[in-house]
Amino acid sequence: MKRKLVALLLAVSMLLALTACGKKNAKDPSNGELVDGKFTTTRSITVEVYDRDGKTPADNNVWTDWIKKQMLERYNVEVTFKAVPRWTEVDQINNLLAAGEAPDICYTYSYPTILTYANMGGVTDLNPLLTQYKDLLPELWNWLGDENIYYDQDPTTKTVWCVEGRRNNTYRINTFVRQDWLDKLGMKAPTTTEEFEKMLVAFKDNADKLLGKDAAQMIPMMLTFDVGWTAAPIIESFMDPKITDKELYINGYDDRKFTENGTKEAIRLLNKWYNNGLIWKDFALYSSGDTMSDDLCKAGYVGAFIQNYDYPFRNGPDSFNAMLAKTYGPEAKFVAINCFNDKNGKYTHFSYSAAGDRKAFFPLTNKEPLASLLYLNFISSPEVIQYLQIGEEGINHDKLADGAIQIKAVDEAHIAYNQNSGQNIDLTMTCNGLRLSTVELTQKSLAYTYAEVDPKDVANAMVVAEQDAVSPKNVNVGEIASEAEGTDLTGKRDKTYDNAVVCSVADFDKVWDEGMKEYLNAGGQAIINERKAAWEKTYGNKENLD
Amino acid sequence: MKKVAKNAGLEKTGKKVKFSVYMKRYWQLYLMLALPIIYLLIFKYAPMRYILIAFKDYKLNTKLLDMPWASTAGQVDIFKYFKKAMNVDFYNALRNNVVLNLLDLFFGFPAPIIFALILNELPFKFFKKTVQTIAYMPHFLSWVIIYGLSLQLFAPTGGLVNQLIMLTGHEAVPFLNESKHWIVTYVGMGIWQSFGWGSIIYLAAIAGINPELYEAASVDGAGRFSKMWHVTLPGIKSTIVVLLIMNLGGIIGGSFDRVFAMQNNLVLDVAETIATFVYKNGVKQLRFSLSTAVGLFQSVVGLFFLLGANTLSRKLGERGIW
Repeated sequence: MKRKLVALLLAVSMLLALTACGKKNAKDPSNGELVDGKFTTTRSITVEVYDRDGKTPADNNVWTDWIKKQMLERYNVEVTFKAVPRWTEVDQINNLLAAGEAPDICYTYSYPTILTYANMGGVTDLNPLLTQYKDLLPELWNWLGDENIYYDQDPTTKTVWCVEGRRNNTYRINTFVRQDWLDKLGMKAPTTTEEFEKMLVAFKDNADKLLGKDAAQMIPMMLTFDVGWTAAPIIESFMDPKITDKELYINGYDDRKFTENGTKEAIRLLNKWYNNGLIWKDFALYSSGDTMSDDLCKAGYVGAFIQNYDYPFRNGPDSFNAMLAKTYGPEAKFVAINCFNDKNGKYTHFSYSAAGDRKAFFPLTNKEPLASLLYLNFISSPEVIQYLQIGEEGINHDKLADGAIQIKAVDEAHIAYNQNSGQNIDLTMTCNGLRLSTVELTQKSLAYTYAEVDPKDVANAMVVAEQDAVSPKNVNVGEIASEAEGTDLTGKRDKTYDNAVVCSVADFDKVWDEGMKEYLNAGGQAIINERKAAWEKTYGNKENLD
Repeated sequence: MKKVAKNAGLEKTGKKVKFSVYMKRYWQLYLMLALPIIYLLIFKYAPMRYILIAFKDYKLNTKLLDMPWASTAGQVDIFKYFKKAMNVDFYNALRNNVVLNLLDLFFGFPAPIIFALILNELPFKFFKKTVQTIAYMPHFLSWVIIYGLSLQLFAPTGGLVNQLIMLTGHEAVPFLNESKHWIVTYVGMGIWQSFGWGSIIYLAAIAGINPELYEAASVDGAGRFSKMWHVTLPGIKSTIVVLLIMNLGGIIGGSFDRVFAMQNNLVLDVAETIATFVYKNGVKQLRFSLSTAVGLFQSVVGLFFLLGANTLSRKLGERGIW
């Protein structure tokens, strides 16, 4: 009897499981319209948010709660956030798209990802929606304008797969050196590439003096597996300062400058430094998202590194400079410098353009395009951006005497108010960079936006980032089909960069040339050719845009 | 229960027993069997129709049968994605895949057998159990963690082992950042991770050997080694052969996580295998047709290896796996 009962139970549970699978999600089919800008029936959307392993869950904290509440009140739209790891976002979003589980509103820095998915019929064309609902989206237009909204519009098919977020400042990348090490050695900050090298050698030779018992840990210069980024100003200084817009565009498949003229010589220099023990030996072993390189900088073993213009100031008490000050005293800190001179003696390096930040797009699985557009509209409102960026007075910021906003670290009692990303950038999807109610206030507050960091260092980093900076122009010549071809070019690029840095000086030419050949054969050349043809089709003989 | 008793002994009459009779008698057991069968049908066989994607141009939001056949420039070309996939990188990955798996087989396959033989000779039960448990442990670590451990131990400047080597005045050994060394590390880590766990099945087989055989061998004057060689090993031979066949079947397969976690840019030329190739050039780039094509290729070749190994083992007088 018992056996029968068990068997019966099993059979029933199986049947139940099967029927449950077949059941369709019942959904309200009515197309409830907006009344006074509000949906008559509650709509639900999911929104992507980057996850940086912050102090609170990325998809559930004070700020996301606030957004949810606001969206419900304003539009009767229920928002659910979906966390995606920041440093592997492209891989992750690909996986989500492939699984059909992508959020209704996705954002990514990678346009090729969107394009590939769009070509498979997986992305909503925003063009008709934007036209239809323009009147409902005043804040979106105010903030992004036609330029960013139609930035990626295909000139022939008129499709718009995504809207481009806007950068309120275009600072991109800086070189940082340990000010206190320079002082200890009685050196001045380097002003040329040659002096930078001398400084590295001095760091190495004086490891005992600078690090005492930890002398063996000395790393004169940090580098990561992403050489095209963590050596960018060096590479860019080897490019021709007179490079034409056309040449820049043709080689501009990604911003790591791999195929530019001059890059090889820049890497040859890095190869020399590596072989002379000036660069971290283990750099290629730690891949994207690993914090080892950051940890070594925080521990105080690193003399110089290249990263985002504000990198050592990020994360308040956990920032590089705050950590260094804690361990070695207030004079221990990284300061930004320009020292990689091009052949004209200037510090040419690339900044961002105001358009071309994160791109927001709707996968075709999005059944609530209007509610999603309203979300973009909401998140672009000045007061929403300001609140998310500076938070609550007394908790996240103080007002200084001149009215400027000084960001401060939240105390333990208000840990819930911690911003998981600087200025909540991961939530202000359409805005990158401080944007307060007035331009004047923004300017005044810029240097004060990092808690527990000397505002003078921040101000200096901004000046340095802007000096001789070149902003790339928007070249829209339609879809470059070979870019969506799908070979892992980024992987090949990084592989060649890494191997060329670590190989012996004698092998350098061979390693670089073979790696470059492999990259070009795998699709790099096809992209260059297609970009060249597309440029010439659109702009004719022009070498530069106006 | 009465019915069962009534039908008992049907087989002895020599008549052919009908399926329905079995069904009547053992329906509870068949019902139990239904569960795994349904599982296999739903999760292993039903998805197989998607093999078709390898021959079609994949479109989202389109039913499988409505997707157009793969075509180049308007011409139907159902092997398009196979041709596309089989580029230089693919052959490189295939070579690495086979080489790494052969090395694994050559060094990794005997390890659990030897370990099981040694364990079997241990007279102290407590010690034996302790060693066994410790040896099982790495099996439960994910490869990501194992790679983390290997970085802590073997990184050129940050690794403990290399720091010790450098303290003795020698050059750091590039365990992880030079191709040949990396292969050794890769195979070694693989053995370390799996030999304990792998030995379970051999220990079970050894336990099944008739103790009288050992007694007889002792009477004949066999020592420990002779007993191992003439009793234990022949006793677990069929187990070894079955596992060998299954391993050969996987020679161009292989796990994704192990190699993906352990590879880095400096050793990619020897570390890229088919699984990571497919991930990077297929899945990551949303090229499902290409991924499926490579997966199908892998399965078909794997099947041939399996069949080949099976035939070979039968020729050698073993049972094979079917």
